[in-house]
Amino acid sequence: MTLPPFVNEPVLELRRAPVRAQLADALRAHDARGPLDVPVWVGDERRTGDELVSTDPGAPDRVVARAATATEADVDAALEAARAGHRDWGRRPAEERAEVLLLAAAWLREHRLDIAALEVRECAKPWPEADGDVCEAIDFLEYYARGAIEIEAGSELLQMPGERNTLRYRPRGVVAVISPWNFPVAIPCGMVAAGLATGNAVVLKPAEQSPGCAYVLVRALREAGVPAAALALLPGEGDVGAALVRDPRVHTIAFTGSSAVGQEIVRTAAETPAAQKHLKRVIAEMGGKNCVIVDADADLDEVVPALVTSAFVYAGQKCSAAARVLVHEAIHDGLIERLAGAVEVLEVGQAERLDIDVPPVIERSAQERVARYADEARRTGRIAATARSVPEGGWFATPAVAAELPPGSPVLHEEIFGPLLAVERVRDVVDACDRVDASPFALTGGLFARNPDTVDYVVDRSPVGNLYVNRAITGAMVARQPFGGNRLSGTGTKAGGPGYLLQFVEPRVVTENTMRHGLVV
Amino acid sequence: MPVVDEARLEAALFEVGRRLWSDLPAGTRNPFRAADEKAMELASQDAELKAALFRFVDVVPACRSLDDLARHLTGFLGEVEQPPPPIAVAMRMGNSRAGRTALGAAAATGVKHMAHRFIVGESPKAALGTLRDLWKDGVASSVDLLGEATVTQAEAQRYAARCDTALEEIATAARSWPPRPALERDSAGPLPRANLSVKVSALTPLLRPDAPERGKRDAADRLRELLRRARELGAHLHIDMESLDSRDAVLELVLELLAEQEFRAGPSAGMVLQAYLRDSPQTLDTVLEWAAGAGAGRAYPLTVRLVKGAYWDHEVVEAAQHGWSAPVFEVKADSDRNFEQLTRRLMDARPALRVAIASHNLRSIAHAIAYDRLAGGDGTDLELQVLRGLGDPLQHAIAAQALRVRTYCPVGDLVAGMAYLVRRLLENTSNDSFLAEQAKGRPLEELLAAP
Repeated sequence: MTLPPFVNEPVLELRRAPVRAQLADALRAHDARGPLDVPVWVGDERRTGDELVSTDPGAPDRVVARAATATEADVDAALEAARAGHRDWGRRPAEERAEVLLLAAAWLREHRLDIAALEVRECAKPWPEADGDVCEAIDFLEYYARGAIEIEAGSELLQMPGERNTLRYRPRGVVAVISPWNFPVAIPCGMVAAGLATGNAVVLKPAEQSPGCAYVLVRALREAGVPAAALALLPGEGDVGAALVRDPRVHTIAFTGSSAVGQEIVRTAAETPAAQKHLKRVIAEMGGKNCVIVDADADLDEVVPALVTSAFVYAGQKCSAAARVLVHEAIHDGLIERLAGAVEVLEVGQAERLDIDVPPVIERSAQERVARYADEARRTGRIAATARSVPEGGWFATPAVAAELPPGSPVLHEEIFGPLLAVERVRDVVDACDRVDASPFALTGGLFARNPDTVDYVVDRSPVGNLYVNRAITGAMVARQPFGGNRLSGTGTKAGGPGYLLQFVEPRVVTENTMRHGLVV
Repeated sequence: MPVVDEARLEAALFEVGRRLWSDLPAGTRNPFRAADEKAMELASQDAELKAALFRFVDVVPACRSLDDLARHLTGFLGEVEQPPPPIAVAMRMGNSRAGRTALGAAAATGVKHMAHRFIVGESPKAALGTLRDLWKDGVASSVDLLGEATVTQAEAQRYAARCDTALEEIATAARSWPPRPALERDSAGPLPRANLSVKVSALTPLLRPDAPERGKRDAADRLRELLRRARELGAHLHIDMESLDSRDAVLELVLELLAEQEFRAGPSAGMVLQAYLRDSPQTLDTVLEWAAGAGAGRAYPLTVRLVKGAYWDHEVVEAAQHGWSAPVFEVKADSDRNFEQLTRRLMDARPALRVAIASHNLRSIAHAIAYDRLAGGDGTDLELQVLRGLGDPLQHAIAAQALRVRTYCPVGDLVAGMAYLVRRLLENTSNDSFLAEQAKGRPLEELLAAP
């Protein structure tokens, strides 16, 4: 099987009126279907329930999905099934598994508007973001399908007369995927697809805020032909994830989420209880406190819109979002003035409306958290601008720009995960790089500078996993910007990039003596 | 569309083209002349050098000293793999502080010279002398106020205020200009002397490609104010087009506002049709429907300026990055052919519309003039437009034939003008631009051949 080369799934061209016109219909159809029932789905057993309810962050009375939550017995059953399931699935040739993933991609493509509508409701993803998320999920399936075929051939080794050396990659076994709500289909899809493509069985524990989106993903994969035993869905809260992480039957843990939870996972996974005959591997994508450096020669016409995009699209709820701007003192005041004006006109509103800039945040506690940090900024520094009108009724947070904060302010050092951007004055690019270097996080970063020597300098000093030069710092694309952070932001693996799949396999080398009685046989 | 005898048209077109060619001022048939043009000529032959030159020109206003300027220049030139000898000299100068100061000064002078060619003055007031001289030479103008991008309401307000002042200053000054009948009247009636081009993207910070209504709503009030002012002053207001991202918003805004009752009696106003867009024929359908319906019976027919379009690279790259099909013709000849088809349709739509053909392509211009002649016209109801700095020789040749020509005159300081300047340079050094062909010394017959 030769697949055509990978290309990214094109996002909807929403600048065209007829393309926009489809969205309202899709949302109406979605609403007409009523709340989605999400089962605990292990093998062929589906148990529905309503212990977990996801609601529309823009209208918390609207129930989007009702889910059963996985019990200890469900976790046990899923892992038992996976233990057997990974053997059959893993023995299939990579091409066969790839074909299944491509069918799942086709299923997502066919239902892309329905799925995007679900994201609009369940996670308040604005349409362009929701559509982008579905496209990214398709990309992961397409990309890892090809990658798995590629690595099945193994790696070339040095060969000598009289011996044959081969290196093959085998699936590690059972993968537990613990996924977040902010890219509610794409991120679980990426981790699940990587596990499946390489022949592992996967147990998915999605974020409690977005069980509906995770269910759609599992449906796509099951309908495409992933065997029942190779993929289970375990909706639930943190305890379900914790049970998976502890369990000796799990070989690999793929996690995307907060730094605190990620570190806890790394610690727990390091244990080797008596029954466990392997070391667990953890692939963790965690938080960031992403900085954008703006040098004196930057063009503010470009900088301001890029900062607004980086910090406020999807209300700043992306791990890649900009949190700090480190701007050269020569243009600090000018930047603050223009940025403030640009933030004042941000329209905060329902995710379903195309004419808003900032949707609500995911839940009440997020809204409160953002307000707490904004208060802190107001108390110890200055709020340079806020959006003028913020609606009531949903979990809306006020987009804001903070300035003149003291160096130790938590606003500068803790991940807020909301629409609050802090601006700091720096002496020069060296000063800015020193501040970036002092941070325990190293996920994304940005630089606006036009002197190539400055760009080289910052590239050389920047510890981050993804550095964006003279553009917005969000919106990584599969195969174009393989994504993942360093330091406490992650294990350094790159989702959507070369090498990612190697985290899900173990290499085995076979050396065969081909000499017999002095003859090469 | 009336049936055209293509053979007769081609013959007339060649005749017009030859006449224009012979009227080009001596020594200007090669449009690249001065030292900075040498740099452009060099750049158009070497992609890396071109990139270095553009990035440098672009950063000039953001540099804080001559030393800083020189550091940027050597930084960019350092990325050119095989630098021609003059570049190696510049690189060596960058090694010492004194060398950098000298290099910075030389480079700053070069860029300023380049800018002065394309930008008529730092302010409308400063441009009035040039506008008057052009007028005396039989050349009308449209002033465009260059500015930084509008990202805040305060900036939108400032731009609107600048437009307001400019309208007043130009209209006042224009009253004392001597009569130039060819520039002041066509068969539909009087043509204002004062003419200002405005950008909707500068009138609102809220233009969003996915939500055109929002920017439209916000820009509408400011644009209405400018239309009222233009009417009071008897000036023409032209609304420019930019990239496809704002096309629908601008088109709808212009057509909606001009159909409003209060603007039926004026002012004279216009919009732009971009022939490089594949769907430009459908856009023209929309405009024609409007002219026959909601826009019918206005005192001044809508002026449509037909251009090829200045955002080709942007449109192609943006589409490619998103996996969309390019909204523009990717083969230049397709764009040129479409330009001629749209020219004919626009001219056939007179007197419901006024037509302005904006191009530096001798063939495109000659085609419009010849088509007008074959339709029995004498040029009264045809306007030709060129850009300051690119179309200067052509503008004289057109004026020499007593045809109406209008030069688009950007006004603003270097900071504000940089994006404009880079776009012009890009256009000018593009390998398949008409001017580049002309500069290569291609014979007239080839320059006039059908696309």
